[in-house]
Amino acid sequence: MNDRTLVLVFLRGGADGLSLIAPVGEDAYHRARPTLAVKPGTGHRLDERFELHPLLKPLGRWFDEGKLSVIPACGSDDDTRSHFYAQDLMDHGGHNVSGGWLGRFLRQTQGSGGLGVLEAVTLGSAVSESLRGAPTAIAFTSLDDLGGADDHALMDACSALTIGDPLLGIPALSALTASGRLDALRRAPDHPAHGAEYPTSTQHGDTAADFGARLRLTARLIQAGVGLKVACVDLDGWDSHFVQDTVIAPRLTALGHGLSAFATDLGKDLDRVSVVVISEFGRRVAENTSLGTDHGRGGACLILGGGTTGGMQGKWPGLTTDFLEGPGDVAVANDYREVLWPVLKRHGANDRTALFPDNVVSNAS
Amino acid sequence: MITRRHLLLGGGVGLLALTGCGPQQAVDLVLGVEAPAPAVNTAATLDLPAHILRRLTFGEHPDDRAALLALAKTPDIAAEAWVVRQLHPETIDDSVCERLIRRREALAEPLGELYEFKERVLLHELTAATLLRAVYSKRQLHEQLCHFWNDHFNVDMSKGECAWVTVAYDRDVIRPHALGRFSDLLRAVALSPAMLWYLDGRVNRVVNKDAKPNENYARELLELHTLGVDGGYSQQDVMEVARCLSGWTVRDQHQWRKGLVEFHRDAHDDGAKTVLGQTIAAGGGERDLDQVLRIVATHPSTARHVARKLCTRFIADNPPTAAIDHVAQAFTVSSGDLALTMRALITSDAFRDPAGFVAKLKRPFHYVASCLRATAAQSNAGNEVIDYLGRLGHLPFQFPTPDGQPENAEAWTGTLLWRWRFAGAFAQGNLAGTRVDGDALVQRFGSRTATAAHLFARQPTTKESDALTSAGANALAIALGSPAFQRC
Repeated sequence: MNDRTLVLVFLRGGADGLSLIAPVGEDAYHRARPTLAVKPGTGHRLDERFELHPLLKPLGRWFDEGKLSVIPACGSDDDTRSHFYAQDLMDHGGHNVSGGWLGRFLRQTQGSGGLGVLEAVTLGSAVSESLRGAPTAIAFTSLDDLGGADDHALMDACSALTIGDPLLGIPALSALTASGRLDALRRAPDHPAHGAEYPTSTQHGDTAADFGARLRLTARLIQAGVGLKVACVDLDGWDSHFVQDTVIAPRLTALGHGLSAFATDLGKDLDRVSVVVISEFGRRVAENTSLGTDHGRGGACLILGGGTTGGMQGKWPGLTTDFLEGPGDVAVANDYREVLWPVLKRHGANDRTALFPDNVVSNAS
Repeated sequence: MITRRHLLLGGGVGLLALTGCGPQQAVDLVLGVEAPAPAVNTAATLDLPAHILRRLTFGEHPDDRAALLALAKTPDIAAEAWVVRQLHPETIDDSVCERLIRRREALAEPLGELYEFKERVLLHELTAATLLRAVYSKRQLHEQLCHFWNDHFNVDMSKGECAWVTVAYDRDVIRPHALGRFSDLLRAVALSPAMLWYLDGRVNRVVNKDAKPNENYARELLELHTLGVDGGYSQQDVMEVARCLSGWTVRDQHQWRKGLVEFHRDAHDDGAKTVLGQTIAAGGGERDLDQVLRIVATHPSTARHVARKLCTRFIADNPPTAAIDHVAQAFTVSSGDLALTMRALITSDAFRDPAGFVAKLKRPFHYVASCLRATAAQSNAGNEVIDYLGRLGHLPFQFPTPDGQPENAEAWTGTLLWRWRFAGAFAQGNLAGTRVDGDALVQRFGSRTATAAHLFARQPTTKESDALTSAGANALAIALGSPAFQRC
């Protein structure tokens, strides 16, 4: 298990599940979304009911090859429809739990051969809340963040005063240790493998280029064998109350091109990697008067890589009025923890109750 | 009491930036005499003046402690006097800092005229002015509150026309009310072009009975601005508030009188509504907004939510319940008078408990500003300093989500190495437009130990002294990089 990597892509802001995984075969979808519905035949066909959004077409290949699982109506038991509350709940993996579910996952699988400081990484400015409680975790957005051309006398003196500090000691030591471990990687040429083409600013926009760069760095860490067990990469800005298409298009481009390039780059290594894409909630079925959608419940989940069986998965509650929740939202038919568990099991977890204490089911399931 | 001499001493900070001479020279020019050695705390731990100067400002300027102590005979009474003045910023002459800001003419333009400027110019001017004020304003507590409310009522200049109207938001909405009355602040925010753009209020239209209003602002008004997520509202309340606020909009850049906020009756849902159990009668039109704001501003959950956030900012990341109750009560009793609310916070047991002194990690903006303040540096807040704010992840007016920049320490420990790099680049004079004279600073305090005592607001420990003594030319950078200086 020690060479497997879990990559969590959190779509913050409430990504519209009905755009990512569009139920183009349902009349109710087109009635509720006269302007925003994905037109049948424009995306990548998943089955007789669903298509991936046209901008996610690069992922179609992976679906067809059985490397991508697609789960609609996925979400948590949160019904506040608050971004921050729902994200906290999903980051922590329950209501009254200590730390984050990835933190508990890493503690549970400790001793299975992690190499220490680069075991858990957030490719971003701060360690993800889901990693809280992990034996070690570090955040950076680029190799520059971890030095290279530093004034070593200054760094040494600052670290000597800081190590042992209850708040700053561990982050300082982690950053400095990681910096040392990444020196070799920093000197190595940065060429994606297998002809992978990550998104670029000029062709795909800044959002996609930035997301792609963080995925590329994740791939480098995996390829370099630094002992990466968990990587968190957020893709923000899905809160599409107003002119939804304009808001989500750059993000769908980022997700489609970025993940596809990442999978290509990894080649055979993809078999030991699982990428899980989740969001705190989906959005209202009916569009509002400003060509957007408001906060809803069930959203989309994607799983890419060796940890999944591929294909359409999970239950689909349908979009007819009887089955909608509250003000008209997709019901959560697939709890995110149900979806995560088989993946986590493959990555070495063995105690579901310890991971998700208030989502109790048998460990055997 | 405050002597003319002290006022002038304090004014030296801004003056030097105007005249281009060093701080000591600036003071000497004005006074024609050598200024007395500034005061430092000679104890091993912080005292109340040190705590107040550290927690309620963007860093302790070399003259701050002496100026505070001169306000009264005992340090504790002097600290009270300092707080009282700071809670009434209009009584503090800030003309030197204001002159620095006034050079940035775009920032004084009326709302509609702001559209004549390039977005990046406004972003730069506002960012630079925000840093200059943090460093050079004498109304330090007011500045802290401005930052607090800019987080609480976050807007992001990259969204829609916020690029143009945010200058007016900071200037006309946040600053005038930061120590004023919460209900006035809330109403000014609700009717500001920046918030109408940022949270889509301007497109919240109900033109027929089947139309679905845009809930974005209504939800964040309840969840973030007033009651808090556990404050006792429901999804139904969100939808009812959205109906009440439908029809308010702002003219965009393609219209005549850009940025004008107005009410469109034909886009307003004029039926009866129920908000948090209170009925709002049909036909209220634009008055619905004031009814909604009255209901939420006076709701008990709002007092608690605001109190908890203030305590988290100014007391501890996890403030004690008793402190939150105390501050919430002051908020309620004073009908949301923010100066009285802050006074209750500052006089609370939790704020004054020495166990909580230096318990907070400075957020990166605070850290950078405090490096400049503590060393009496000259800075034009140019791009090289601002780039560091970006590296540290803390650029004002550029945070995307409406919850504002995080307050808890853990959110900010990931970029620690960048703080050290900033300390190095700054102390070694490698930032264009920013100058610091480490030797002059040591001369001013009389010794390295006294300088360290100024930077740490207490005597340095043996470990700190040893590190600084063996550091040679790097001593200032190391002192600024040390964990004691990272905290407030």
